[in-house]
Amino acid sequence: MYWVSIFTEAGIFAILALGLDVVWGWCGDFDLAFYGYLALGSYMTFVLAIGKPVPPVKYIIGWHLPVPIAIVLADVVVVGLAAVIGAIALRNLRDIYFAVTTLGAVSALYLIVQNYTPLFDGFNGVFGLINPGQAALGLTYNGYRIVLLLVALVILFLAYLLVQRLSRSPFGRMLRAVREDERAAAAYGRRVFSAKYRAYLFGAALAGLTGGLFAIFISAFNPSAWSPQELLVIYAAILVGGRGNPRGVILGVFVVYTGFVELTRFLPSPASRPEFGPSLRQILIGLLIILMLRFRPEGIFRERPGVDREPGARPGPFRARAAATSPGSPPAGPAVAVATGADVLPRAAEPAEAGEGLAGRPARGAPREGHAAEDGGMQ
Amino acid sequence: MSPALLEIERLTKSFGGLHAVRDCTFSVSEGEVIGLIGPNGAGKSTVVDLVSGFGQPDSGSIRFAGEHLVGKRPDVISRLGLIRTFQTPREWRNLTVMDNVLLARRRFASESLWRSMTRAGRIRRAEDADRVEVRAILQRFQLAELKNERAMRLSGGQKRLLEFARIAAAEPRLIILDEPMGGVNPVLGARIGEAVGNFAADGRTVIVVEHNLPFIEKTCDRVVVMDLGEVIAQGPFSGLRDNPRVVDAYLGMDQSHD
Repeated sequence: MYWVSIFTEAGIFAILALGLDVVWGWCGDFDLAFYGYLALGSYMTFVLAIGKPVPPVKYIIGWHLPVPIAIVLADVVVVGLAAVIGAIALRNLRDIYFAVTTLGAVSALYLIVQNYTPLFDGFNGVFGLINPGQAALGLTYNGYRIVLLLVALVILFLAYLLVQRLSRSPFGRMLRAVREDERAAAAYGRRVFSAKYRAYLFGAALAGLTGGLFAIFISAFNPSAWSPQELLVIYAAILVGGRGNPRGVILGVFVVYTGFVELTRFLPSPASRPEFGPSLRQILIGLLIILMLRFRPEGIFRERPGVDREPGARPGPFRARAAATSPGSPPAGPAVAVATGADVLPRAAEPAEAGEGLAGRPARGAPREGHAAEDGGMQ
Repeated sequence: MSPALLEIERLTKSFGGLHAVRDCTFSVSEGEVIGLIGPNGAGKSTVVDLVSGFGQPDSGSIRFAGEHLVGKRPDVISRLGLIRTFQTPREWRNLTVMDNVLLARRRFASESLWRSMTRAGRIRRAEDADRVEVRAILQRFQLAELKNERAMRLSGGQKRLLEFARIAAAEPRLIILDEPMGGVNPVLGARIGEAVGNFAADGRTVIVVEHNLPFIEKTCDRVVVMDLGEVIAQGPFSGLRDNPRVVDAYLGMDQSHD
């Protein structure tokens, strides 16, 4: 049963990671409010499904809706919050400014939820969503847990199909163009804010859905069950699996969750220092992020750009490389670099030949990246 | 002369105390190739930014095909049929060469989030025609073999060609090239000149900001000369040599070309 629980949790968080990857991996927006969307989705699912509060317990709404409907409604609320935060944070803020703004937003949410008891009963939180549907389905406790795992995996699979489809669609391509160079994207008619905003709301919708599933999984939710920094693990998982690659993201979550839970289980946890285990876990995750960034920043599976195939031909997966080494192409430079996959430091990875102009003459004055700041000169 | 496609009137922009552009007025007719020249700091790039929406003027007006451009965002202006380049090629580095040019086809309708979820197959089939077209464009710019490479892999010269391939795919009415010859070797330069000629032959209007005067002389119908934010002369290139202001401001330092 232990492993069923681990895999259920990993499956649920993989959905969150898929959503976060759309925002961070595809759009390049380092969003720190994302765990707040999961939390809000979870809280809302509770208050929509567990019925009226019995004093002294306090919380809003207190409806008794069927759980799936509660999750959908909760998700609508989550997307509404994301619409507000995104409208402020995505308009003009980028990079660290965006990150700090979203961190501020989620910290405010955390403090409000913690301290304003009429909302979700503050520190006590909400509870009572104990295995909804177990009796109706006539399942034992263990049977229910296995069914829950299967449900989580099925929803993860559906989310994966949807995200993968979007990833390969013109929409996904356009988001990546905006990520790579906003000004060039705007020069080619892309509405940068609108593109990022739509992706943000899509990601938040997946986070809200995750929150609903998480509510069923842990059956009680309070401020000690979540904090904004939980998101670090999800970022680490995306980094490990492969930013921008849906398959890699899912793999990353399973590797990090099962790996870390298993590793930290055997750590000593002295009674006088109960915070030792969790703290060490944070340190290990930080270490993992640093190591990944140093040795394989693209993750286990790299983001795959679309491969153009001529109609009729059914080429194998390595056709892109074969084409690059074919006679007509410039001296092996690009192909070598692709084969090693080491394009994280493009300037360094480019062999000298790659600097040649088409005519085979060295393009001495080839434009340098450093000049980018010159053009325009104003924002 | 055909009616003006682009009319710039009394355009002014300052950054702090610096008058980058002052009372700048000129117009460009449909189908013309215009050279915009002047020494460094003359305000050429600022004019390009103001026209394309990457900056807002303090005063003055810009009309493109009858539309007022002042106050419009870059993407809105681009959708009106104006494509600009930047001083350094700005390829989408992690996307393939093919995707870079496909994006320049600007099929905005197929980029809807909802349709990408529900009509993925139909969108993909609709894209096939564009792919055929883009393959032909890549062939023309000798990038066909590299179509599945990430754009960051290209050499500096190939990135310039990719820029032109994107413009060709976008089929704009007005093209503004900001220093297309920067760091380009002579052979590639000839190809770029050819590409500009082809745009003109297709009836597109081109504005070239450039320091390379032989290139301007060869490709442009008319030249606008700027200095210290003002337009100091305009007309055919041959007439500029006799203009003392132009010689003083710019040509004087570049006698070696004659």
